[in-house]
Amino acid sequence: MIYFSQLDLIHILERALRRTDLPIYFTQGYNPHVKISFRSGLKLGVTGKIEVVLYFSEKVDRERAIQKLKEHLPMGLNILKGSQMSLKEINKLRRQAK
Amino acid sequence: MDFAQFRRPQRYIGNEWNVIKKSHKGRIPVCIGYPDLYELGMSNLGLRIIYSILNEESDIVCERVFMPFDDLSQYLKENDQRLFSLESKTPLNQFQVLGFNFNAELNYTNFLHILELGGIPRYSHQRKDVIVLGGGVVNPEPIADFIDIFVLGEFEAISNDLIKILRSTSSRQARIEAFSQTPGFYIPQLYSNNLENNSYLFKPLNEKAPKSIKRVFVKDLDNSYYPTNWLTPHTAIIQDRVPVEIARGCPNLCTFCQARKQYYPYRQRKPQKVKEIIKKIYKSSGYENFSLLSLSASDYSYMQELLDGVLDYFREQRIGLSLPSLRIDDLLGPLQERLQRLKSSSLTVAVEAAQDKLRKDIQKNIDIKQLFEAAKVLHSFNFKQIKLYFMYGFPNETNEDIIAIADMLKELLGKSNLKISASVNVFMPKPISIWESQSLEDEKILEEKRALLLNSLPRSKRLDVSLPSTKSTILETLLARGDRTVGKVIENAYRKGALFCGDNERFKWAPWKNAIEEEGSAYQKILKTQTSNFAWSFIDK
Repeated sequence: MIYFSQLDLIHILERALRRTDLPIYFTQGYNPHVKISFRSGLKLGVTGKIEVVLYFSEKVDRERAIQKLKEHLPMGLNILKGSQMSLKEINKLRRQAK
Repeated sequence: MDFAQFRRPQRYIGNEWNVIKKSHKGRIPVCIGYPDLYELGMSNLGLRIIYSILNEESDIVCERVFMPFDDLSQYLKENDQRLFSLESKTPLNQFQVLGFNFNAELNYTNFLHILELGGIPRYSHQRKDVIVLGGGVVNPEPIADFIDIFVLGEFEAISNDLIKILRSTSSRQARIEAFSQTPGFYIPQLYSNNLENNSYLFKPLNEKAPKSIKRVFVKDLDNSYYPTNWLTPHTAIIQDRVPVEIARGCPNLCTFCQARKQYYPYRQRKPQKVKEIIKKIYKSSGYENFSLLSLSASDYSYMQELLDGVLDYFREQRIGLSLPSLRIDDLLGPLQERLQRLKSSSLTVAVEAAQDKLRKDIQKNIDIKQLFEAAKVLHSFNFKQIKLYFMYGFPNETNEDIIAIADMLKELLGKSNLKISASVNVFMPKPISIWESQSLEDEKILEEKRALLLNSLPRSKRLDVSLPSTKSTILETLLARGDRTVGKVIENAYRKGALFCGDNERFKWAPWKNAIEEEGSAYQKILKTQTSNFAWSFIDK
């Protein structure tokens, strides 16, 4: 079992990513951080699904990335499904959402 | 138990990354505790060192417990349930050994609360199986009635002896006897320590009890244990970064400082070793922020070499690094270019006294002119804020010294556009500091000085000042300097509901005032140092 807030989840995912040797994409500037975006929020204490977009600086193998990340996620946090998109496709989806 | 009903449930889950879970079967069960909330306890390096050292042993299982927040305390009481360890949720009264790390005297009542919730008898003489160890204290006497065995000094120096004794027998009595014959351990129940003719008389109560009691220290910091399988919480903690200890102790002689003698002598860790530790911890935790820990980072002889060796790594991995105890001259000297490459953090300067003469008196050797010089170049660093530490209530202090604190803040606000956070504390004559035989300033004068400071402070949105109440300073001094009679006051105040006294927002004087009166404590004598020696004088210096 695991309980976390949205803010906790960012740290949990960031640290899990940092523990893998995957090519993480960092934001630019004085205070670089791992870029993670969420499609929806989760409430504390409620079990559920959440869609998260993780960014990499180069193309990664989908299966390998999922496997690596799974090894470094705490118990109670699982990857149900993963798909790969180019930055172009993500931006296109964003525009449609607006 | 459904933890979702409590505030911040992650406090009680015990599923952090790198947590160690072992079956208790065939192992010696030990639980280590910290008498404050999870977020504070998990920021304590000592607790992590002890946790890792003990869990390295295959026949020992070491778990953790912290002070529960009010909601869980109330739940346990209402449902007649015992407080439990985080890892296996085992009630505290099922452990053979409990060890508490005390680094703040104001938490003593929290410790009594943990014992009660865990079903552990409050007094040492009432216990039949469990052993309660206490460490991190300089003066053990105020809590001597509640602790079976004190560890005096640094844990790494006694860990082998501790493990050996726990293995040798499972009898409480036989273990206590073995500890009593081992340097670094102190069993208060083997001694009396009463005030007679204005002096503390420390007397062994039986022939086997050793006459001299010693603090023990690590000799070789490079080869001493450092936890690298870093326990990584899933929720924010107070110091949300990995502290990597570069040195222990301090070569300076500030008269008010207790820590320099509590961790003694000054020892440094080689930069190569520090670098190895950093890399191992980053790999195991993925922590995004680190800090280089020591009482005075500026005195670390290998700072340039260390920074040259790690800055590229920190930059490549985008890890933040903070150096919390730098001196101002480092910002202007040869480290300047290296420090400018750090990810933004804050600059901390322990000014202590604002005027030169007083600063000289307390042997705090820093050049304040440089602070203003530095203010001009601060924009070239990525600092978010300047943190300043001050003290008042020193012997021979004048009102001008107080006003000078406010003036210094005014001038700094003018010279830099950063946020300034000032923490102002009262000078307390803490045990084993150079000024241990000074007195705490009169309450009335402390109150006047506090009012004077508050009235002189500049008003600015960029300035944040923290100033604890005079009463909490008086209490902290009493608990730090107290003798065994103070234990009665602690117990009485606890029964009156005194909890979380180290939290300025929650601190209340009333239970303590009543406890002091009811127990007839000669507390003024302790605050004013009117005895010819001290309750802690029996410990070899």
